[in-house]
Amino acid sequence: MRRLTDRWRTTTARLILIYGAFFALWGGIVIGLIYWQAASYLTRVSTDLLGRQASYFSMLDAPARAHALNDYVSLQTRRLNAWGMFDADGHHLAGTIAVLPHGITIDGSVALLPRGLVRNDGRTDTTGVRASAVRLGDGNILLISRDTSVAERIGTIILRALLWGLSLTVVPGLLGGWLLTRGPMRRVQMIREATQPIMRGDLSRRLPVSRHGDELDMLAGIVNTMLSEIERLLGEVKGVCDNIAHDLRTPLTRLRTRLYRLQQTFGEHSDESATLEACMVDTDALLHRFRALLRISELENHQRRAGFEQVDLGEILQEVHALYLPLAEDRDQRLELQLPILPSIHADRHLLLEAMSNLVANAIKFTPPGGRVSIRARAAEDGPWVDISDSGPGIPADQRDMVTRRFYRTESSRSTPGSGLGLSIVSAIVAVHGYALEIGDSDCGALLSMHCCTVASD
Amino acid sequence: MCISLSLYVRLIEISGTMLVNISITEPRQMPRILIIEDDDVTADEIAAELASQGIYADRVVDGREGLARAADPCYDAITLDLMLPGMDGLSVIAGLRRQGITTPVLMISALSDVDERVRGLRAGGDDYLTKPFAPDEMLARVEALLRRQNQQVQQTQLRVADLELDLVRHSARRGNQKLSLLPTEFKLLELLMRHAGQVLTRAMIFEAVWGYRFDPGTNLIDVHIGRLRKKVDPAGHAMLIHTVKGSGYRLAQTD
Repeated sequence: MRRLTDRWRTTTARLILIYGAFFALWGGIVIGLIYWQAASYLTRVSTDLLGRQASYFSMLDAPARAHALNDYVSLQTRRLNAWGMFDADGHHLAGTIAVLPHGITIDGSVALLPRGLVRNDGRTDTTGVRASAVRLGDGNILLISRDTSVAERIGTIILRALLWGLSLTVVPGLLGGWLLTRGPMRRVQMIREATQPIMRGDLSRRLPVSRHGDELDMLAGIVNTMLSEIERLLGEVKGVCDNIAHDLRTPLTRLRTRLYRLQQTFGEHSDESATLEACMVDTDALLHRFRALLRISELENHQRRAGFEQVDLGEILQEVHALYLPLAEDRDQRLELQLPILPSIHADRHLLLEAMSNLVANAIKFTPPGGRVSIRARAAEDGPWVDISDSGPGIPADQRDMVTRRFYRTESSRSTPGSGLGLSIVSAIVAVHGYALEIGDSDCGALLSMHCCTVASD
Repeated sequence: MCISLSLYVRLIEISGTMLVNISITEPRQMPRILIIEDDDVTADEIAAELASQGIYADRVVDGREGLARAADPCYDAITLDLMLPGMDGLSVIAGLRRQGITTPVLMISALSDVDERVRGLRAGGDDYLTKPFAPDEMLARVEALLRRQNQQVQQTQLRVADLELDLVRHSARRGNQKLSLLPTEFKLLELLMRHAGQVLTRAMIFEAVWGYRFDPGTNLIDVHIGRLRKKVDPAGHAMLIHTVKGSGYRLAQTD
């Protein structure tokens, strides 16, 4: 249904509808004009004729008139003409008209009787007639009439022709238009599908361009040029960031070395030692941040799946659990592991471990002492899920899309040490694998779910 | 030609047999390192750090020359830049190993990509360090390579002071007290004891014990060491596991 309304919103459909309406209106006007012209002409002719006939009959003598009136009726095939002879009081004397219509002026002028006349065989006309009454020399009244509904009938024929014409033009037009919109709509659908990965951030994709070179292709071409430019600019920005990170690493490492040497020179228990130690901690934090930033770049450029193999996800989770258990216990946290039997997956073992380890480290970091962090795997038809939930403050719903961005930190996490790059690393690893990362709600605290899709989503 | 060897030959000529005997019992007191590196700053940094520990180093700039010099058996370890003029680092390693030279090689590269590391290790390199590096990290890795070189013989038991580790029975003992260690803790202790007296950085520990090369966060290794320390250094015993500020950890007997 939705697609149908979409289809009527296309330019082609709109043009066809406008043309259809315009055509119907114009056809109506033309036909109306023709009808009006024809009807008025026919009326004029028959009125004129009737007037002449009436005066002609009145001038004849009685026998010739009887003869002529007989001819008047019998010489026509469709009983259009009729006459009646009435005495001065209006009583029927002869002729095919039985009753002198009431109120008719007897002066030879032509009158329109819309309700017709009563015939001498008892029938009443169904259509209107024009009639003319004259007083003859003997005082009798002669009434002759002519059925002028022929003009209306012509009008009906013309109207019917108009309707047929319209239906024969508009119906195939609309049908054709509907069919014509199918092509563009299919391409719009293709473009819509092509934009999905772009909207998800894969700027290397382009809109499909057909060989027609029509307006859709021109538009797609413009969008593609725009995308190339955006991709180039983003690449440049990222390149600049990476270069800064890369170039700053060398002097920072040297700075750290000098601090280290200074500390060694002064000795561990000197007054300067504590300050130097603090300087080194800060330098380390900077270096750590640059390393993480470059690591993300590296992962994003890591398109090949050379390191991919069949991997036991359960084993990785057990390793991560064992790796972080002491850390959690140090913080009085429970680190739970729920592991059903899982099928092996095709993945890079080291990257997957890095991602899981980042997720668990994050959960531990943001959960207050005495809390709970749980690693739960569950099998699904399209690949296993790993849920990592904690009893920390959680991630506000409106910030869930942002937390995977570089350097993004939620308001509440700003007081905790960290670079805001951990989840970016995770999401880069997830992207390399074609997996999905979902951030949701647990009963309390954050829930991050990684779906190790066995079927590639793209 | 190696200076120490020529010096050594000259010393033999001067002092005669007695010195020869001493030299035979202690043939390599001072390790020698060959630095194959085209960047002067990096080379100076490596040399200075090694010199601070009394390790002599020679330097060559070119890959081809490096390969020729590395064949000299007087070198105990080689640090090798993977991007060199003349001949790239991977070819140098491959050339060395083809000639049957087993001198341990620490590869140093600006590329941090895992693939580059895997390629280097596959070609026969022994360890990999990404530029820019902290000199103490480099030193720790070179020392580990030297240690490995000297520990060619399979050991079944490790001992530092009154701490004993039985590698066959997987048991540990401090004095008379038997230590109950988890598998990871055992591996960690084994690493520290194999490199007793030597600083091991957190990255080296994480690589060696867990086999992974990512940044697990600063305090993860600290927590694991802390647990091990509680078991290995109980109250009343001398501290064996020492924290080296700004660097890492060292297991040693202090006196």
